[in-house]
Amino acid sequence: MSDKEKKITIETGDAGKGTTEISEDANTEELEERALSVFSSDRNEDIVALVFCLITTFMVLLFTKWMV
Amino acid sequence: MSQLKEQMPTIIMGGFLLVYGLIVQSGALEPMAKYLHTHKTLDLQVTMTLVIGCIAILGAFVNAVRKPGNSNLDTFILQPLGGIVLILLMAMAIRWYAEPLMKIVSKGLEPTLGFKIYKVLNLNYVVLGILAGVLLTNTWGIPKFAGPGVKCARFVLKMGVIMLGARYSFAELAKLGGYSVFLVGFFVLGTVFLVLWLGNIFKQPKSMTGVLSAGMGVCGVSATVAVAPVVKAKSAEMAYTIGTILTFGIVCMFVFPTVGKLAGMSPVQFGAWAGTGILNSAQVAAAALAFNAVDIETLKVAEIFNITRVLFLPIIVLVLATWFGKETGQKLSFKSVVIDKFPVFIIGFLILFFMSSIGMFSPPSHYKGKYIDVSYNDRSQVTPEELVTLQDAMAKSEFSGLKPEQLEAVTNLIEQHQIAGNYDERNDKKAFDHVGRARMTQLQGTLAAAKGKEITLSPEVKSALKHAVKQVKKKSKTVVTLTDFMIWFFAFGLIGLGMQITKKAIFQAGGWPIVMGVIAGITKAALSFFVVLWLIKDVVLN
Repeated sequence: MSDKEKKITIETGDAGKGTTEISEDANTEELEERALSVFSSDRNEDIVALVFCLITTFMVLLFTKWMV
Repeated sequence: MSQLKEQMPTIIMGGFLLVYGLIVQSGALEPMAKYLHTHKTLDLQVTMTLVIGCIAILGAFVNAVRKPGNSNLDTFILQPLGGIVLILLMAMAIRWYAEPLMKIVSKGLEPTLGFKIYKVLNLNYVVLGILAGVLLTNTWGIPKFAGPGVKCARFVLKMGVIMLGARYSFAELAKLGGYSVFLVGFFVLGTVFLVLWLGNIFKQPKSMTGVLSAGMGVCGVSATVAVAPVVKAKSAEMAYTIGTILTFGIVCMFVFPTVGKLAGMSPVQFGAWAGTGILNSAQVAAAALAFNAVDIETLKVAEIFNITRVLFLPIIVLVLATWFGKETGQKLSFKSVVIDKFPVFIIGFLILFFMSSIGMFSPPSHYKGKYIDVSYNDRSQVTPEELVTLQDAMAKSEFSGLKPEQLEAVTNLIEQHQIAGNYDERNDKKAFDHVGRARMTQLQGTLAAAKGKEITLSPEVKSALKHAVKQVKKKSKTVVTLTDFMIWFFAFGLIGLGMQITKKAIFQAGGWPIVMGVIAGITKAALSFFVVLWLIKDVVLN
């Protein structure tokens, strides 16, 4: 990133705790999208959701099928 | 001290949940739960409220004594805790009180209005959840302590979509004939492209068009949620899509049966049309029953056509990922679409769908966890009293108005004490199963004919036949529990989604999504009407 790049200050709400500086030509739509999630990327969010669901499924199978 | 003050709302909510859990455990709320038909959930209510209450209080105290940091524990658990507990509290209020109450009020108004308002307006936890979220945001606003928690909504919604895979099985798809699958696929993809084209004409944002195309093409709420991250749809756009689909479905529920009757459609043709043209599965079932409450074939065909659409979901995700990439100026190779852009959580949906199809949760032929088991089993038999009732009715020729095949099914039920195949064929599972299922269908037909007043059966006989049918209809506990998880995930996610929708966002979208949805919906309904009349004769199920 060049030092001469223009930057703007934005409010980042509660989770971000205050304000932050971003590049003036940053993809704000993407930032807006991420600001609505506790995860830093879609991929992380998806993987955690998948792992949670697989654990849930395993537990459900354990208690409703395998141990009954 | 100020940190403890900040945590007070979470502590109060946690305390409320603990007190509520203890009251439920004491049995004091049992009469009310029975009135609301939620008494079967009382154990769950106790467990959920006590566990969440304890976590809330414990977490709030940790937050109060500890300096907030940037660890995973802070980001994913401690900071969002207040919001998560608030949304869960709202979800519980909706699932255990608002939704059952809506059903009771709707039932009470039925004689005056002539229809169940609950069914017609689809006032279930999906709509109530979004409405509750929108209402809170636009009246009091999201409380400060709940802000980070609301950001978990989309993540939880994705878990709901993954769990959805457990409800379906490939066996359902295989039940449809080749051209029926082609028909469903053609209309799903056709609607998606039609909405994308309309979006271009009406100059709507790509994210709005993308999510609406999936919702209108596939199956409503779940498709909307699944596609939203692919096309970067905003919460308001998702809510608009869900609203458009449900509104369109309400109109269809009234119009479809009338048109079907005027056109003289056969039960199978109408089932295929409703299953293709109406999006929401509850509305499909309502339309099928309104058209023909006597012949269960209509409902069966409609449901199978409807769920086949869900299985096109991964294909639609791929199509829209490619489209969105191209529209936003990215050069996408096949690899980048299939591997890089394909959402991991849809792979989760496929994994659960695969597990369900190979019979890990219940026999592979199940539908939403329900399956038919006509094998010999003491638990499938009718009671000795019911057997005497049926024998007496047979001796008094009460079954004289039945068709020969219906009479054979009743005679066999009396002989074998349960619905089953032929005893001689018990080693040939396929043939045994086939005959048993056919007998069950005949008994259902008998009951439907009695309901339609085509034949007269005494209430005791009807009750015995109903019980016999009920006995062979089994429910997979695994799928039922996984579905419960899915419902809670969706309820949580949709309330959170509603909380992200401001008045400004609603007005920004304008009325165009509804216009596009209605055009696409009417086109699909009209086209599928002619195609079904032309292509589908009577046998569509293998």
